[in-house]
Amino acid sequence: ARPPLLLGRGLAKAAGPRSVRQLKEAEEAAPVFQYAGKAAKRKDRVFVWGFSYSGALGVPSFVKPDAGWKKPRRIQATPYRLETEEKISSAACGYGFTLLSSNTTDITKVWGMGLNKDSQLGFQRSRRDRAKGYEYVLEPSPIPLPLEKPQQTRVLQVSCGRAHSLILTDSEGVFTMGNNSYGQCGRKVVEDESYSESHLIHQLKDFDSRVVQVVCGQDHSLFRTKKGAVYACGWGADGQTGLGHYNITSVPTKLRGDIAGVNIIQVSSYGDCCLAVSDEGDVFGWGNSEYLQLASVTETTQVNVPRHLPFKIGKIKEAACGGTGNIVLTEEGNVFVWGYGILGKGPNLTETAVPEMIPPSLFGWSDFNPDICVAHVCCGLSHFAALTNRGELFVWGKNLRGCLGTGRMEDHYFPWRVTVPGEVVDVACGVDHMVSMVKSFT
Amino acid sequence: LNAAPGPAPRQHVRFLPVPAEDGSGVTGLVATRVPMLADHRLVRGPRFRRLKIGAGHRLDTKASGVFVLGIGHGNKLLTDLYNCHLTKVYTVGGLFGKATDDFSDTGKLVEKTTFDHITREKLERILAVIQGTNHKALLMHSNIDMKTQEAYELAVKGLIRPMGKSPPIITAIRCLQFTLPEFQLEIHCLHETQQYLRKIVHEIGLELKSSAVCTQVRRIRDGVFTLNDALLRTQWNLQSIQKAIWDCQLKVKTELEKTLG
Repeated sequence: ARPPLLLGRGLAKAAGPRSVRQLKEAEEAAPVFQYAGKAAKRKDRVFVWGFSYSGALGVPSFVKPDAGWKKPRRIQATPYRLETEEKISSAACGYGFTLLSSNTTDITKVWGMGLNKDSQLGFQRSRRDRAKGYEYVLEPSPIPLPLEKPQQTRVLQVSCGRAHSLILTDSEGVFTMGNNSYGQCGRKVVEDESYSESHLIHQLKDFDSRVVQVVCGQDHSLFRTKKGAVYACGWGADGQTGLGHYNITSVPTKLRGDIAGVNIIQVSSYGDCCLAVSDEGDVFGWGNSEYLQLASVTETTQVNVPRHLPFKIGKIKEAACGGTGNIVLTEEGNVFVWGYGILGKGPNLTETAVPEMIPPSLFGWSDFNPDICVAHVCCGLSHFAALTNRGELFVWGKNLRGCLGTGRMEDHYFPWRVTVPGEVVDVACGVDHMVSMVKSFT
Repeated sequence: LNAAPGPAPRQHVRFLPVPAEDGSGVTGLVATRVPMLADHRLVRGPRFRRLKIGAGHRLDTKASGVFVLGIGHGNKLLTDLYNCHLTKVYTVGGLFGKATDDFSDTGKLVEKTTFDHITREKLERILAVIQGTNHKALLMHSNIDMKTQEAYELAVKGLIRPMGKSPPIITAIRCLQFTLPEFQLEIHCLHETQQYLRKIVHEIGLELKSSAVCTQVRRIRDGVFTLNDALLRTQWNLQSIQKAIWDCQLKVKTELEKTLG
């Protein structure tokens, strides 16, 4: 028993160990914090990784650090958040530059960053000298488009090639910028034209119906219209324009061959080979075949007319072309690869002319999770990316300057997860960098 | 144990003198098998004076479930089972809305939060990400060179596992029940401790922008031993223990042969 003399007047009592009832009461009286309301929406974020010295990642502090003691970061090996003002709906990676677009009705709809030596990002007026433009854009900068109704037209999709870019709008056709030495911008080739610091943005409107997808190859452009037709223009020495000749084309011309009359629902290209998927699940290919991409139908190394590829792997939903390898996704969610290079089935498989399936267990499928399947595939120049329906991103292929984003600098011979703090909704692959659109978890 | 009939005493051949039939006093030697006196219970004493019992993977005081013990020569099998690095399965119960200092519901309260924005979908998303990052850790800690064809084949079959020391890795996790504020998870893991599982529950709460404490950790499987093989408190008697040892001998032997070769 405590002597009352110690506490003087006996008004104060020492605290002592709390009884269970006191603890419960204290717990009930504790304040409740709210971090997220019931209607909290998931936020949209953009993550970038890869080679940063070209400015393609859009983070200026990587190239020019903001403090004297900081060192420039040549390679960003893991996903890095890119803060953007607007919600980005479509992104495309070219050879050292990136385009981001939002489907807003504001005046600024497209931002570009990276190399601008051929005005592939439009004219970026330099702040020091109002007459000159920037050659390297280090931060996402708005690209002014000559729209007739800038507050009504929406930009649906962007696509980037080696030195040119295409912007697809919903009511004003396709805008092209950049290098036009092979007619890839869809306008007549002007001899000795200087493409750097050029203000010229060309508008293409006359197709048989509205254009719904634009795809850039290395030096050529493909347009897919609502009626299911495919138009092409640009460099054709490997037959990638698919128009039956090996010359350049400077006006978008409709493709014939095996896709005449077929309703094409998706076109893809990144290097010199092209693939198209029809609504019935057939795949057609044309262009470069030096790496056995089209060896299943022909022995020649260049195919200049679209040919049907008779693969018996099921109904095909989506196709993507890389520099030397191709990848398709079937309706069941299986992934098939063929071509040359690191294809994703271990170091022993370096080339195949017939599609080989990548086992679904490498994408997280198991008896514990039987309903995981691949939802989207994408190709960079020498690497592949696959998105599962759970929002996980898998990459494999040559790890050129950290483009895979796994944190390691070595090549991956089978699909490897990329840790992104969010659910990946879309991914764009470039030569040495990648951009992904991610939704946060909560 | 000592009361049970032991193994039969060893026999040896002795030449015993046998008196002759006709009583003439000449004794012949006959070889007979007789039990050895050294094996007799009164000479040797009780067979078991002490028993060596070893414990398998640890289970702390707040958790419950399957706990593997080895008796006598079985302790050697315990070390072999440890080197097999098999996964253990736990049922973990959690409660949203509270955060305590030791991550369980008996600890000192740190914070209370709202949890009405949490849905089963959000929880499953977080669990998928946990599984993904842990799968990556599994591949990285297994110390196999990823550039070889064998690594690819093992990865396809899902047999890549760290065969040495590694930090705790969760191989599979899924939500069994979800009624706000309570939820129950089934976790398959390697090299973990129960406090690590409670920490995972706490971190799931943080990731969902709320807080969570762990109410129950129950191990339902430890390698080859499941709840069906486990003995209840009422069954801790000699007959049940002997029967349990007999039943699981074959299972343990096949598993050891499969993994360690």
